[in-house]
Amino acid sequence: MRRGGSSAVVVAAGVATPLGLDLDTFWSALCTGVDGISTIERFRVDDLRVGRGGEIKKLRAPRKGRLPRCRASALLILAADDLLARATLPADPARLAVVVGTALGGVEEGERAMVERGARVAAAALYDGPAHALARRLSARGPVLTVSTACASGATAMGVGADLLAANAADLVVAGGYDVLCRFVMRGFDALRSLTRERVRPFDRRRSGLLLGEAAALVLMAREGDAPRPRLGRLLGHASSSDGSHVAAPDPEGRGLAHAVRGALGAAGVGSDAVDFVSAHGTGTPLNDRIETAVLRRVLGARADAVPVNSIKGALGHTMGAAATLEAIMCLLASRDGVVPGTAGYEEADPACDLDVRATARAARSRVSLSTSLGFGGCNAALVLEGTA
Amino acid sequence: MTRVLGVGLLTAWGEGVAALPDDARRAAGERRVVPMATPAIAGERFRRATRECLLGVAAVGAALRDSALDRAAVAGSRTALVYVTAAAYGASNKRFIVAEAASQVRANGGPDGVVAIEAQSPGATEGAGRAKTGGAIYFPYTAPSSVPAEVAIEYGLTGGYVILVGGASAGVDALWQASTLLAAGDADLALVLAVETFEECADLWTRGRWVTPRPLVEAAACAVLAGADDADIGYGPGAASTLETLVTRRAGETLACAPLVELALARAAGMPIARVTGRWRGRRAQIAVAT
Repeated sequence: MRRGGSSAVVVAAGVATPLGLDLDTFWSALCTGVDGISTIERFRVDDLRVGRGGEIKKLRAPRKGRLPRCRASALLILAADDLLARATLPADPARLAVVVGTALGGVEEGERAMVERGARVAAAALYDGPAHALARRLSARGPVLTVSTACASGATAMGVGADLLAANAADLVVAGGYDVLCRFVMRGFDALRSLTRERVRPFDRRRSGLLLGEAAALVLMAREGDAPRPRLGRLLGHASSSDGSHVAAPDPEGRGLAHAVRGALGAAGVGSDAVDFVSAHGTGTPLNDRIETAVLRRVLGARADAVPVNSIKGALGHTMGAAATLEAIMCLLASRDGVVPGTAGYEEADPACDLDVRATARAARSRVSLSTSLGFGGCNAALVLEGTA
Repeated sequence: MTRVLGVGLLTAWGEGVAALPDDARRAAGERRVVPMATPAIAGERFRRATRECLLGVAAVGAALRDSALDRAAVAGSRTALVYVTAAAYGASNKRFIVAEAASQVRANGGPDGVVAIEAQSPGATEGAGRAKTGGAIYFPYTAPSSVPAEVAIEYGLTGGYVILVGGASAGVDALWQASTLLAAGDADLALVLAVETFEECADLWTRGRWVTPRPLVEAAACAVLAGADDADIGYGPGAASTLETLVTRRAGETLACAPLVELALARAAGMPIARVTGRWRGRRAQIAVAT
């Protein structure tokens, strides 16, 4: 198990999502049940089984300059613009680090490179290109790391960012995740038959699969003594683990996820009895939600009946590398406002997913939250966050 | 300071540092990419595994031999796996994209995708339709995480798990992540694995040649690390080490593998402590490791 125990302050956040291109719109949409799923329009989907997802229909102009053609870089820059509207960066760019997670990197540029001439488009196909585009935009000259633990990438990136702070390798870290909807990933998940033709219904008895989405989400993190106020909260602990069981499917017993959850709680120095709220990976696939339920029941014990659990993937789809960071931000906003967003698409309880899931937002005091993530390659990650409640 | 127990090194030049030429550029001649063969690893489980997955499995095997450790010593949750690559997902990504273009032709009778790809990468689409590499079975192998996944399954690794993407500086970052895990007591051993393949995307590398000088040399390397004392590991920015210069000259451009090649050279030279450095996209990172 990989875990980090040095807490990091989360100063501010910024997002670009199908629910909104800024944090306030995103949060409001989650709480009011806005549906971010639509028919995909940006590329051809008429030959796929499923052509819907959480697509961002229109990008806004950036604060300065132009958006790059690479959509992944563009989403990161828009999220950074939103972040910079809420926080300032330090004078010393050498002490500013960037750590971003992604499942797909610039693969859409790879698709483009196969049919277009030019050196730049070929180089842009490398998965770490968008992170460096973000670093250039932020004028960051500290470490620039790209994490790719598939759909757990956004959580791992925040953990690595906290490690950089603990190691004094940076004074401020912009960490998060991103991924874009493109033909490559839609075709892949379509072939896997993972996509549902119906609604995404996390933890619901009729759940039949996931839908993909695109987003970028960033947080600004600092050590306790360096962090300005106001703050969103703290990352108390993080952990990641390998299933070592299958390239594409999670361990059927969820052993790797349980390792990661216990590791993150241990690193945070809190017991499972301290958890007030769980942001689940909750993809809406029959297997994932059943495994996650079993793991949460094992870890939380009898309290599993009383701890609110949600999944935001019904509202905006599975945003892959961005998902875990969006969910971590949601945990901190839930704590700040005393509201836990509902699980869009949830209607009918499943005995195999007997957690405290509700369709609509509810008032709840959540100081400590747990966020869980899984991904291809047997990747598991867990974050323990403390909000300002 | 983190201690190296062993390094497994497979490059296009052969196995170990003894196989490295004195001058990689001269040895490569006019070749922009120096490819390496796919390791022969038996087993039904590997029937669909990609070349880069097999290289990863082989590099870990070589590292365990160099460390005089057996598989049981690394199996379980007390061994962390940190994987790093700049490019070893390129081949699988390209296969998937080409197969997708071929499927469009089959479905619609329109040659647009294939014609466009052939115009940029002659021969790229040959056999794509027959190989069915655009299907469900192959999609998970397009993810960088497929390489460490196959390694974790093969060696029973269920501990800490971090995957980084980038060139030589990311290789240094991977050594730092492993050191962090060991120093925190979260692992007893850590495997830092790097794999780089270029042959299947040689045309793209040629077009993007300003990213890295030639020759690009395929490699897979793994270091087995353990925690030692709490001496400063010196992780951060730094000037190029003599080891970095030596590796570039003798091995060529091995991107994320380069810091691990530096460790192998340092061990071969009997250096007690290696200052390892790596540069990528304008950033150079360094770390000190006891060899």
